[in-house]
Amino acid sequence: MSFFSRSPWILHYDGSSCNGCDIEVLACLTPLYDVERFGVLNTGNPKHADILLVTGSVNERNIEIVENLYRQMPDPKVVVAVGACACSGGIFARAYNIQGGIDKVIPVDVYVPGCAARPESIIDGVVQGIAALEAKRKKTA
Amino acid sequence: MTSLIAFLIAFPIVVGTILLLITRASIRNPIVLVASAAIAAASVATVVTFGNGDGVFFGLPGGIVPGQALLAAEIAITALIVVIGLMNRRILAPIMAIAQLAIALFLEVTGRMPEADPQRLFWFDRLSMVMILVIGLIGTLICVNAIGYMHDYHRSNPMIKGRRNVFFSILFIFLAGMFGLVVSNYLPMMLVFWEITTVCSFLLIGYTRTPETIGYAFKALNMNLLGGLGFGLAIALLADQHLGLDFAKLMAGPASGTLLAAVALLAFAGITKSAQMPFSSWLIGAMYAPSPTSALLHSSTMVKAGVFLLLRLSPAMSGSTVGYLVTFVGLGTFLFVSLVAVTEQNTKKVLAYSTIGSLGLIVGCAGIGTPELAWVGVMIIIFHALAKGLLFLVVGTIENRLYTKDMENFDTLLSRLPRVSVLALAGIAGMFIAPFGIVVAKWAAIRAFLLVPGGQGAVMILIMAFGSSLTLFYWGKLLIKVLSMRSISDYERSIERRISRYEWFTEGALAVGVIAVTASIGLISDRVVGPYALSAFAAGPQTFLNIEPAMLVVMLAAVLFLPLLAVWASTRKFDAADFYTSGRSANASHVMGAALGGSKSVTLRNYYLEGVINGAMMFRVGTLACGAILIAMVTVGMVVR
Amino acid sequence: MTPAVYGVLFVFLAPVFGGLLAGVDRRVSARMQGRIGPPLLQPFYDLGKLLQKQARQVNPVVEPLLLGHVFFMAVSGVLLLSGTDLIFIAFVFALAALFLVLAAGSVNSPYSFAGAERELVVLLASEPFFILMMAAICKVTGASTYAGVLASPQLVAVQLPGVLLAFLLVATIKLRKSPFDISTSHHPHQELVSGLTTDMSGRMLAYVELAHWYESALLCAFMVLLFNWSVPLGLLAFAIAYALEVLVDNSTSRAKWQLVLRSTWAATLVFSGGNVLALFLLSR
Ligand code: SF4
Repeated sequence: MSFFSRSPWILHYDGSSCNGCDIEVLACLTPLYDVERFGVLNTGNPKHADILLVTGSVNERNIEIVENLYRQMPDPKVVVAVGACACSGGIFARAYNIQGGIDKVIPVDVYVPGCAARPESIIDGVVQGIAALEAKRKKTA
Repeated sequence: MTSLIAFLIAFPIVVGTILLLITRASIRNPIVLVASAAIAAASVATVVTFGNGDGVFFGLPGGIVPGQALLAAEIAITALIVVIGLMNRRILAPIMAIAQLAIALFLEVTGRMPEADPQRLFWFDRLSMVMILVIGLIGTLICVNAIGYMHDYHRSNPMIKGRRNVFFSILFIFLAGMFGLVVSNYLPMMLVFWEITTVCSFLLIGYTRTPETIGYAFKALNMNLLGGLGFGLAIALLADQHLGLDFAKLMAGPASGTLLAAVALLAFAGITKSAQMPFSSWLIGAMYAPSPTSALLHSSTMVKAGVFLLLRLSPAMSGSTVGYLVTFVGLGTFLFVSLVAVTEQNTKKVLAYSTIGSLGLIVGCAGIGTPELAWVGVMIIIFHALAKGLLFLVVGTIENRLYTKDMENFDTLLSRLPRVSVLALAGIAGMFIAPFGIVVAKWAAIRAFLLVPGGQGAVMILIMAFGSSLTLFYWGKLLIKVLSMRSISDYERSIERRISRYEWFTEGALAVGVIAVTASIGLISDRVVGPYALSAFAAGPQTFLNIEPAMLVVMLAAVLFLPLLAVWASTRKFDAADFYTSGRSANASHVMGAALGGSKSVTLRNYYLEGVINGAMMFRVGTLACGAILIAMVTVGMVVR
Repeated sequence: MTPAVYGVLFVFLAPVFGGLLAGVDRRVSARMQGRIGPPLLQPFYDLGKLLQKQARQVNPVVEPLLLGHVFFMAVSGVLLLSGTDLIFIAFVFALAALFLVLAAGSVNSPYSFAGAERELVVLLASEPFFILMMAAICKVTGASTYAGVLASPQLVAVQLPGVLLAFLLVATIKLRKSPFDISTSHHPHQELVSGLTTDMSGRMLAYVELAHWYESALLCAFMVLLFNWSVPLGLLAFAIAYALEVLVDNSTSRAKWQLVLRSTWAATLVFSGGNVLALFLLSR
């Protein structure tokens, strides 16, 4: 039996976002959505995390950070891009310093659309992330 | 037996005199090696000859009594102190030395000095046996270590004039003084050896002859001469009372009247020599001397003479107010120096405070005067001598390689000096990690304090509870620093190869000793320390430590854990850059990118509890408090009788 | 059953107890915050997952030190129940806690190191109490072992109200509850990233959890010592105390280490120290 589906721990990283998506991510933790029901924890630490939730796009300055955080997560791990910015650069895509979506830097497993992404779809994204996590574990095991 | 004891006292003096005349290292080193081996062998032979009985008494062949020779020795010592004192324009030390001589002369001239019993000059029992082994084995290892250390010391301190012939000469005479001290049964003879150790430590502390060390040397001299004066007065008191000056007879049971007054004065002497508060500062000052000096003063000689005397006094102090006050001087010292130690960053000083604290525990045990606590006291002597001797030598070696005594600069020691780290960890484990050793002693001490009636028992337990936790804090900080790792350059890797074989051999031997003694603690307790405690107090049979074999295995694992881990880990490869720095990348040398470009190196500093504990103030408060208790102790002894 | 059997049972049952307690804790905390919270068995799922994950070795000493931490925590419990001297237990307990400090300190990273130093401070804050508590229990009952205290006709908690009071305060440290959870930052709190566990991943983090479960079980066993006249009563007292801790955890923010040290020492000195002093004076 795998425990990953019952205990997905999340690292939330905010790239170049407008903070709209971040507020929605945090809303998932509130009594209304209460993702801890499914064992989800917001760890704030790559070494404890299974799922990297990224909001906002990558820019020149945070490429290194995103790469570093991703590298420090222990396997198996998945990346969920939350919101239009994280998926493609969103409304900031043409800005002078923006590189584009997160997948420019690290492999993304799940794309969650929306501007901002709604809590329901974020939770749905995490659930799909868990499936990806399971698949990766099976591959390595 | 007699001839072996005579050898142990006379031979080091002869060697010391010869070494004084030899300035060439190529000739000196073999002499030091051979003499050390001979002394070690003789001390083992003494113990083997003794077997394992209760105390024996013996004199010199032909029934010679030292008589005038003692007086001559005292005059010589006084003359030496007066000359050196006046050369350095110090007046206090000569005055005290002369005062002490005056007492002896007065007794001698008025014919009051009781003669020694020619058949009872020396007293050898299991406590002497432990001390002989501590001095003969650990002391000589330190002498051998000094060969390597002093070579590097003078190379890295070219400003200091090399007088290594003097240094080694004093080391050996020091050993002779200690041997004499622990087997003397005639008090005036013991006093002469007592003063020999005082003068030797004075000369060793002042070895570098900088204004700073000369100051500390005189501080040590003054405080110890004050103690010697107390010793002399005790003899004077006893001389008048026609009780004789036979140490074993005087200390056979609880004292009263004039004898109690003399016991109080002798306890005062023991407290000065074991660097208890208010006399702790001399031992801290001694930290500025070369490390073998520190190792010698702290582990096998000098301070151990102080606690040895107090343990000898223990049956006489038993149950008296004097005894309780001695206990509070010791425990008070333990508490306050532990408070100071958590705020101290200089590793040698932390070790020094830890020494004073451990000695405080022994003093605390001696004052109560029960077999259980005497057992604890001797156990601490054994473990402390080994582990602390090792730690001081290791810190000396580190100091000569990394040019620092600062605890903060010991970080990643496991990567930089892996083999030295193993030795350091063995020493720390012996001092503190081991559930046996000092910790078992603390446990047994609390058990015994529970039986002390009235409020003082509660205070003793409170002191133990807080003091023990403070020791945990400063050892923990040191361990963190030693155990941390990073990647190192080839140059750094080469540093360790330059440590001399003298240092490897002596420190390795002590590390093995720590582990061997821990493994055989049951045996030592059942065969040596237990019987000693029972015979000293003429108590009925009892067991002190009940260890099941399974428990011993678990505990031995605890002692071996850290050193073995270090041996294993130092050979492993790992990614030293893989630590969390909020996403900024860091490299294996702990340099990380800064927010606005450029780079910063990661420095991590231990907590020293600033703002909560003020070390300097704690030292003053402790000195005042223990000083007041000490004055009360002597007064009670003199007045109440 | 012989005491040795109790010791062996501790090795296997204490983690179950500690894990369930953590599960209840998370549910109760969630309810206090108006949430439903995770399943009761969530801590076991977490542990299982951590064991399946990769463990990144930041250096070779961390994992052995953590194993030592678990081992000595378990050994403390085994020795306690199998009849080793209570005062000795206090020292082994501290040794076990020290191994966690060493593991985190050896990482040499800013967050782990800060966590390790804070853990050392809370160890310094709590250790005097445990030595004092064990000494006081031995003094009251005249016994020196766990079974001996339980068999004693003396009612420990009645004679040691001050010690009981200080226990509630110090347990806040050992149960890693706010305002005294300054070194680990358990999951809802995220100060210092994750404190001393920051650089521990996979099974290494699982060891820390496991050791903490042993620790919780030990604290419960200590509570039973205080309520020695009936084991169920001791368990009930622990349950009430734990509920209080959870309430405090959810209604306070974390203190600075200075305050933790000062307040814990003051409580130990005044409540337990005063209690012990009275005990000695009255037992004349
Ligand atoms: S997707 Fe929209 S709401 Fe989300 S960060 Fe980008 S701009 Fe803000």
